[in-house]
Amino acid sequence: MSEDAPGRVLIVEDQQAQAELARLFIGGLGYEARIASSAAQAHDIALEWRPDGILLDIELPDYNGLELLSRLRAAGVDAVVVVVTASASMELAKQAIRAGAEDYVVKPYNRDRLGVTLRNALEKRTLSRTRRALESALDDTQTRLEAAKAQLGKTSYAGFVGASPKMRAVYDTLQGVAASKASVFITGESGTGKELAAEALHKMSPRTNRTFVPLNCGAIPRDLLESEVFGHIKGAFTGATTDRVGAAKLADGGTLFLDEIGEMPLEMQVKLLRFVQTGTFSPVGSSKLEKVDVRFVCATNRDPLLEVEAGRFREDLYYRLYVVPLELPPLRDRSEDVLLLARHFLAQFAREERKGFTGFSAEAEMMLLAYPWPGNVRQLQNVVRNIVVLNAGPVVEAGMIPAPVNRGGAVPPPRPALVAAPVVAPVVPPVAAPIVIPPAPVAEEPVAPPLPVEPVAPVLVAPAPVVFAPAPAAPAAPAPAATLRVDPEQEILPLAEMERRMVLAALARTGNDIPRAASLLEVNPSTIYRKMLQWRKDGLIPAESRR
Amino acid sequence: MPVDPVFAADLARDLDPEDYARVLRLFRQDVVQLSETITRAAAAGDDTGFRRAAHGLAGAAGAVGAKALETACRIVMSPRAVIADPNASAREIADLVAATLLDITAALARVEGQ
Repeated sequence: MSEDAPGRVLIVEDQQAQAELARLFIGGLGYEARIASSAAQAHDIALEWRPDGILLDIELPDYNGLELLSRLRAAGVDAVVVVVTASASMELAKQAIRAGAEDYVVKPYNRDRLGVTLRNALEKRTLSRTRRALESALDDTQTRLEAAKAQLGKTSYAGFVGASPKMRAVYDTLQGVAASKASVFITGESGTGKELAAEALHKMSPRTNRTFVPLNCGAIPRDLLESEVFGHIKGAFTGATTDRVGAAKLADGGTLFLDEIGEMPLEMQVKLLRFVQTGTFSPVGSSKLEKVDVRFVCATNRDPLLEVEAGRFREDLYYRLYVVPLELPPLRDRSEDVLLLARHFLAQFAREERKGFTGFSAEAEMMLLAYPWPGNVRQLQNVVRNIVVLNAGPVVEAGMIPAPVNRGGAVPPPRPALVAAPVVAPVVPPVAAPIVIPPAPVAEEPVAPPLPVEPVAPVLVAPAPVVFAPAPAAPAAPAPAATLRVDPEQEILPLAEMERRMVLAALARTGNDIPRAASLLEVNPSTIYRKMLQWRKDGLIPAESRR
Repeated sequence: MPVDPVFAADLARDLDPEDYARVLRLFRQDVVQLSETITRAAAAGDDTGFRRAAHGLAGAAGAVGAKALETACRIVMSPRAVIADPNASAREIADLVAATLLDITAALARVEGQ
């Protein structure tokens, strides 16, 4: 049982009024409830119906609740049992707990008391099942390790392309959650692949043979949204000339993907909440409840918590849907995937367009790497398609790259990330084809800047104005403030010039390995690419040589 | 007051009027039947039947806030209780049932009149 999948509760109670009251309370909490008025009937129903929970009165007309509990356990019924007791029979309730009941509730109880007890008990059962599943999974450690190893080498997964740590974290989440029915809440900027992730979840789930129904909540007029989701009956409103099945019904047994859920009007959110809680809905104009089994996946490019705080998104709905969060990183945060993606799209579109493209020139690759891609993968995809359609190949040259990408980093600053990015190791894997700058002396310290455009002082050694204390044993470690030695008599250079010298020195130190140099400088590799492009344009460093 | 008005108001608030009315009607059925069972068991000297019916009646009474009836039933249903005169206890319970039913019928009329 999980929050989003209302469970089944069997009420074992011989007094009609009491049983009916419990049924109403439990039904109101979103659970499906049945009543057994004797122990024998409860036994039969429990074996056939397999409830998640049993609300058990101890005093029953045929045999008592304790014996029923014992028989059910012997028959393999693992439903969580909550004993209903009068205060005078507390001792019996304690006996029931020793016999395997999870909790007890004292008569008379109100709806809230029963709800809390039942939900807690069912939650414990869920946790216990999860623990068992984890233990079972751990038994298969070898298989899991092999799967993990295979995963590490992946450059693509379920339609995604990328080998960056952030994308591997995404693949892990997709793989881990696909088989579950848990709701998944995907966040990410436009163009990061939210619908692709939703489809991947569906395809990898046991629901793959049923329907995947995407619904863009932001693209449907608010007056029509309810009908789109729940359908309508003939005559429900002007223009409803026939019955129409909605997305909820179409997705029965499958997955309902609610894209741009942040755009959903508040009044519709109330109806959606009811649907998520109970799995039931009424088509517009109908009073008949329909029950479906749907997995919810939703997505937004907004920060859902901010939307809740701003009162635009219901908090209760948020907590119902935000069971497994999946954040898709913006492309600028996984720049090591840019060339992988570009080459993938180039091969794909060249095939589709029957063009003989084989790859990108070094200059073209540098442009792609220097650009921050505010439109993310979709923008990169469109740029590559544009190149393939308008050019002949075989190599994509810098001149073929359209604006604004050919202007390097000269674009509006990208939006900040929506939410905190998943924690990943600060690893910058080497880019397959690092940009090469003219040969630099690498054999000896001190390291001179590789590009002597003008006479410059070496930067990592004296007599530079500001010097990091040498740390030969760990050159990549950041220099703590205490190790700075400042010589006020030294020449003061413009900060931009200092920055350029630092970057060039780091490149020289790493044998022109841009990702490693970026790691030393604690910046993104694309920052270095972007700066080099600009310096080259400004004549501060020579034009590049080809790899 | 046979039925606790605060409890009854809470119950009425927790349920739809239609559902509330159904619970009250079922209570009325249960309580009459159980009261008769108690009277019969007392007359027959059936201690087990007496206590079991009292247990049922206590539960039903508690569910609708009939506190006096619930308390009386809980006293006699306890295995440790010594019931000197079961017939007198049954009569006492029957009187409480009658008083409770007046309240319940009035509440039902109010709900059905809404």
